[in-house]
Amino acid sequence: MLTSAGCEYMLCPLMPETTPAVEIRNLVKDFKTSFRHKPLRAVDDVSIRIMPGEVYGLIGPNGSGKSTTMKALLGLVAPTSGKCAIFGKDSLMVDSRNEVGFLPENPYFYKHLSGAETLRFYGKLCGLAGKDLAGRVNEMLALVDLEGARDRRIGGYSKGMLQRIGLAQALIQEPRLVILDEPTAGVDPVGSRQIRDLILKLRDRGITVFLCSHLLEQVQEVCDHVGIIFQGRMIREGRLEELISIEDQTDIVLKDATPELIAKITALVEDTPGASVVRTGKPRTTLERLFLREIRDEEQ
Amino acid sequence: MSTPTSIPMQGSHFSRILTISTHTFTQLVRMKVFYFLAIFAVIAIASNFFELPQHEGPEAVGANVLRSIKSWSLGAMTLFSVVLSIVATALLLPKDVEDRTLYTILAKPVPRFDYLAGKLLGVLLLVFVSLALMDGLMTAVLHIRTGMVVAEQTEMAQAMGWPQDAIASLRADTLAHGPDASLQGAVFAVFLRASIMASLALLISTFSTSTLFTTIVSFLIYFIGHFQADARDVWLQAGQAGEGVFARLASLLLALVLPDFQLFNVIDAVIQGEALPLLALGKLTLVGVYYALFFTFASWFIFADKEF
Repeated sequence: MLTSAGCEYMLCPLMPETTPAVEIRNLVKDFKTSFRHKPLRAVDDVSIRIMPGEVYGLIGPNGSGKSTTMKALLGLVAPTSGKCAIFGKDSLMVDSRNEVGFLPENPYFYKHLSGAETLRFYGKLCGLAGKDLAGRVNEMLALVDLEGARDRRIGGYSKGMLQRIGLAQALIQEPRLVILDEPTAGVDPVGSRQIRDLILKLRDRGITVFLCSHLLEQVQEVCDHVGIIFQGRMIREGRLEELISIEDQTDIVLKDATPELIAKITALVEDTPGASVVRTGKPRTTLERLFLREIRDEEQ
Repeated sequence: MSTPTSIPMQGSHFSRILTISTHTFTQLVRMKVFYFLAIFAVIAIASNFFELPQHEGPEAVGANVLRSIKSWSLGAMTLFSVVLSIVATALLLPKDVEDRTLYTILAKPVPRFDYLAGKLLGVLLLVFVSLALMDGLMTAVLHIRTGMVVAEQTEMAQAMGWPQDAIASLRADTLAHGPDASLQGAVFAVFLRASIMASLALLISTFSTSTLFTTIVSFLIYFIGHFQADARDVWLQAGQAGEGVFARLASLLLALVLPDFQLFNVIDAVIQGEALPLLALGKLTLVGVYYALFFTFASWFIFADKEF
């Protein structure tokens, strides 16, 4: 990814290969409040560039400006200053939304529609019809594993199912960019894992994903680029690996190592000038992985 | 999943508006709003038996019953259509915002005008279908009752030894109160009035913060619309005010913005058995379409810049 420090932002509509999927340039968003004379600045000079195929995670605490940034990108709010573009098209133009799928935080769809009807509705809005539409609806229901609930009213869906049908509607027109606002908020670990697997599938297919979350572990698992936003300002941005690696330390993970071997290695390190053993011990799984494994074992 | 190539967009404004309007219609139908049709059926049938004060001869009794059926039925149609158009429209927009379904719709390539027009047309489709069903029931009841009244009157007149031309005249007078084209025109006028109210409720809901506010203000404007023409006349004719250019311009502006529902008094004339001329209906249609379009475009003007 090209960061703000590394390149000058340019909109390049005639060069599809180099056109960023998302380009947010010096975005500022102020909201008028009735309680304060001074407007509330929700987003303060934020710039983000996401190239096609990348999975970008915008992380930050609640109220830091993540959702407002996404809404500005989707044209749901107008920037006070700055510009947002999707594949080179200004976000305030309707045609910029041809290439985008969006899943808002805690979405509620029309409760009177079934899962299949919901997808048909969104598909028709995107210009799909006939066999193309029917095919896409079936494909999306299979993708999010909701074929069994296709004719059930959305009102009877669980939280995790709602998120998955939301993801399916976001993908219905086969967009090149998917924007996910807190995609796993309020979902249990199993549902959360399913959604993360779906995001990984999208990444494998070359679809650009822009997600925001305050669940850091999940972002770390799926994103290759991250930005940290705090009080409306972007305070850190870059490749995930580069941001989280500790440059002066190295991991060596051994299998079936005897205590004697570990003692030998430790002694070797201690004999080397400038090097030291920081920590030895057994790697631990995460509580989430343990939970998922136990659930799976119980089901079998 | 297939390859990640972008699907070319083939959707037109028309298809998107159609999608949203049929969806809105389905949404309202599944809210079980058609239950009120059962109430209407009771009113239409019960109106056969309402006793009206009788000061005329026995030959007028039948015509009064027919007038009663028309009056109660058209009154119920007006009530249901206006309530339905205001409440349904006031409900839809805030609900979509609250449930965030609006985000998912506007995040698709859907112009905001298409969304508004689709919602409004969905409500109008519901009102139209409701009125058509009520009209069918009223026409059926009126047709059957007219036949019974004509038979009773003919029998009575023959028993009293009326001449044939007098019997024919009485029959013609009674049939004028039966189902005819003017009655259908009156039902269409009811639909036009409901359309104006639905588009007005849409306009208010674009800046209102609650469904209750939209509903109350819409009903207030509905009632104001019934006497605004009188109020303007009184103002213009009172003293010096009416002579000023400003007063006349203000009056014109008021008439352009606030619908004059006295124009719809033709419905009352139809109840009394008068014919509704095609020209009058045409004029009423133009007025209805003008206000509906004016309020819809005003809604769009506000909604286009609204932030969510």
